[in-house]
Amino acid sequence: MSTPSERVIAVVTAGLTTPSSSRLLADQLAAAVHDELSTRGVASRTEVIEVRDHAHDLTNNLLTGFPSANLEKVLTTVTTADALIVVSPTFSASYSGLFKMFFDVLDDQALAGKPVLLGATGGTERHSLVLDYALRPLFAYLKAIPVPTGVYAASTDWGPNAATLRPRITQAAAELVATLHHDNPTKPDPFENPTPFENLLNS
Amino acid sequence: MQFGVFSVSDVTEDPTTGTTVSEGERIKAMVAIALKAEEVGLDVFATGEHHNPPFVASSPTTMLGFIAAQTKNLILSTSTTLITTNDPVKIAEDYAMLQHLAGGRVDLMMGRGNTGPVYPWFGQDIRNGIALAVENYALLRRLWREDVVDWEGKFRTPLQGFTSTPRPLDDVPPFVWHGSIRSPEIAEQAAYYGDGFFHNNIFWPASHTKQMIDLYRRRFEHYGHGAADQAIVGLGGQVFMRKNSQDAVREFRPYFDNAPVYGHGPSLEDFTRETPLTVGSPQEVIERTLTFREHFGDYQRQLFLIDHAGLPLKTVLEQLDILGEEVVPVLRKEFAALKPAHVPDAPTHASLKTAAERAQALETIEEPVR
Repeated sequence: MSTPSERVIAVVTAGLTTPSSSRLLADQLAAAVHDELSTRGVASRTEVIEVRDHAHDLTNNLLTGFPSANLEKVLTTVTTADALIVVSPTFSASYSGLFKMFFDVLDDQALAGKPVLLGATGGTERHSLVLDYALRPLFAYLKAIPVPTGVYAASTDWGPNAATLRPRITQAAAELVATLHHDNPTKPDPFENPTPFENLLNS
Repeated sequence: MQFGVFSVSDVTEDPTTGTTVSEGERIKAMVAIALKAEEVGLDVFATGEHHNPPFVASSPTTMLGFIAAQTKNLILSTSTTLITTNDPVKIAEDYAMLQHLAGGRVDLMMGRGNTGPVYPWFGQDIRNGIALAVENYALLRRLWREDVVDWEGKFRTPLQGFTSTPRPLDDVPPFVWHGSIRSPEIAEQAAYYGDGFFHNNIFWPASHTKQMIDLYRRRFEHYGHGAADQAIVGLGGQVFMRKNSQDAVREFRPYFDNAPVYGHGPSLEDFTRETPLTVGSPQEVIERTLTFREHFGDYQRQLFLIDHAGLPLKTVLEQLDILGEEVVPVLRKEFAALKPAHVPDAPTHASLKTAAERAQALETIEEPVR
């Protein structure tokens, strides 16, 4: 359970190998966000979701229309988190199909108003705009709030270019934390507070 | 408590033989299933309404009228009637006619349908789904309850001095259930009018179904129709039975694995764990069905889906024999023993007629003496 002041950061990473470079980037982003919150005296907890672990459940959800009990828990972790860090490998000039499936089974309003840090990985730097051409529109559609700086890591960023990756991670983490002084808007629960029928009748 | 079967009327290849029945054969099979349901002592047969292949049930009152002529006790119902894309005037007329022909053995379940293109095919917009269900049903109620209706709304041409004929049998409109899987607005609608609420829970986990039914019950009480546990609840169920559990699983698995709705997805084992699907012995079906009451409270109607996914008619009729001989008699006894006296049965034409006469008599008594 999170204490009232504790922030929960959900990390959704869709790498396929174990370990994957997407997970590597996700961990660095999560650590940077955690550190940034710590320096501001804010406690935080990170919940990491490896989409691969839920691949069958996601397919089943698409086919049957409802999540398994396990997947439902994971989806709730994401929708109730204070902020998200998402990382996808770049496949065929976009996020991976598995990554998209995770967001396809969420209700289209489930991430409205949620701060999101966008991350992607790829073999070469040539795909780096996947962040802004693929991930950003997806989260704009979902009415989430992607922070301005996204982080793309190519293979070379784990070696000779590491020094140039680091400041981007720090910058993106700071931007995500800056959005967190807002309280998350609480969404009305339509089962707790249904629209009175007279309003439906007269609308 | 009422027990029955409901059909979605799908024409699906039998995956074990590769054969597909014709539309004509499927229509005749549905009729045979309904007649068998009466023969084995079930209470309700409900047909879906669809306007696209592979479904044959586009014209429910024609089918139900044909069945009515050959049955004596069976209640004829729908699962569901498309309140969104049908003209409420035509629903009022068709079902009042059916009610007369069937001697009152008719009720309806309103639904919004699950096929997107049906909306444009019938000149509507799917984005108005809820608004159509609300407006059309409000008009339908008036057409059945007021002899002359003046009406103007958003979705249909206005009516001036309109009388829907025939008037409902004995001036008692058919009882209406509202079916919805996930829209709290429809549970709210059912509660507002004191109508029944049916949750077709067969593809859904109990936690989800409970959320909808609890909302309906709470709001039923809020609108003054009785206590929450007196609200009129119906549930779906999906079963396949053989004497031995393993035989049932072995025989049903190919149908499950290739079924139109969930085929090629979760395993039979996963799906039976997460949803009400029960594949096994009659005793297992009895035990599973009794858990519905534990989850959702005492309820009034239990409909089973037994005829989809290409199952041959012969097999379906065997399922009805098992239901009628081994399952439903036990469930009737068990549910009746558990149900508190203040929880009502599902309304029927007879009970609604008695209630209306009683209300009328009270009104006459209370009228001041002049």
